[in-house]
Amino acid sequence: MLSHLVIGQSLYFGDSLFYIVTFLLLMWIIKVVAWGPVTKMMQDRADKISNDIDSAEKSRNDAADLVQKRQAALANSRSEAQTIVSDAKTNGQQQREQIVNQAQADVQTMKQNAQKDIEQERQDALSNARNDVADLSIEIASKIIQRELKGDDQKALIDSYIEGLGKQHES
Amino acid sequence: MNGDPVSTFQFLGLTFSTANVVSGLVVFVLMVAVIFFTSRKLAMKPTKGQNFLEWLIDFTNGILKGSIPAGDVGKFGLWGFTLFLFLFLSNELGLFIQVATRGGATIVRSPTSDPLTTLTFSLMTMMIAQFAGVWKLGYKRHFTNYLKPFVFWLPISIFEEFTNFLTLGLRIFGVIFSGEMLLGVIWDLAASHGIATMIVAVPIEMAWQGFSAFLGAIQAFVFVTLSSVYISQKLEVEE
Repeated sequence: MLSHLVIGQSLYFGDSLFYIVTFLLLMWIIKVVAWGPVTKMMQDRADKISNDIDSAEKSRNDAADLVQKRQAALANSRSEAQTIVSDAKTNGQQQREQIVNQAQADVQTMKQNAQKDIEQERQDALSNARNDVADLSIEIASKIIQRELKGDDQKALIDSYIEGLGKQHES
Repeated sequence: MNGDPVSTFQFLGLTFSTANVVSGLVVFVLMVAVIFFTSRKLAMKPTKGQNFLEWLIDFTNGILKGSIPAGDVGKFGLWGFTLFLFLFLSNELGLFIQVATRGGATIVRSPTSDPLTTLTFSLMTMMIAQFAGVWKLGYKRHFTNYLKPFVFWLPISIFEEFTNFLTLGLRIFGVIFSGEMLLGVIWDLAASHGIATMIVAVPIEMAWQGFSAFLGAIQAFVFVTLSSVYISQKLEVEE
């Protein structure tokens, strides 16, 4: 076949044209059927992968942020709880002291009132008793006087008795 | 095969070789079928056919990336892909199917076992290289590249273009043509003395077929690689 080419007796240049046309047609068909869609798909895939990597990075950062916030909130709430507890403790302490003081004061007042009452009662009882004794004495005296007033010898006894009462009353 | 009659026909005042046209059409149909059936149901998660196609695209893009600057690879990707697949199928076609008329003229064989076919592709590469050079650098810088490293280099530069064109086309032709010719010779040997030679020759034929298939793939690869080298040479200003 090389001899044909060299001698040129039946050189089929048409084939060159045929192959060029065929090749260009093939290129066009491949571009429409496969090359365009496939390279587009490959590009899409590459984009998707890079996007996925980016979004994974982003969500990882978000998660880390969230963890940090969580920890901060936890620490905050812990200290808050501590404050609340200590506040409650001091409040309780104060209240207890207040109650105890109040109770002591109350007791003091009650004691004083009781003492006053007792004194009052004693005074009343004493004065009552004095009156009773006076009445009784007068009754006894009247009875004795009614019955034995005649006997002068008994007069001295009565006197001394009354005198004794008066002394006792004075003391 | 060299002495075989060549079946030709006239069309539009041009002479066509029947073998080349028919073989070319066979390759064309094969290629369209392969591309069509592997590119159905494209998805983000590739399945069998798409995997193969994407692997092939990555492969040819890889060949181009080896020499063409990264920014320009995208413009030659489709060309490199089509060229590689066309040459590969052309190289392998004649190893498995050879049809001849009763007169002895072959109708179907490797299109690349004809120098005219391979030189056509070689010429296409050279044209693309020229156009790419003008497109990238502009007329002035493109043509002053021929005067580098010094003005008297011009004849050598022009001669180099011519030798590049010839070697690129004839290398692949030589390998494929000799492969087919040897297949024919081994077949003649097998048929020469009946069953005895047949038994001896068939393993040799199979081995040679396997080797030729390997060589066909290598040659398609080499053709695309060298083409991209020639193009890349035109894309940059020589120092």
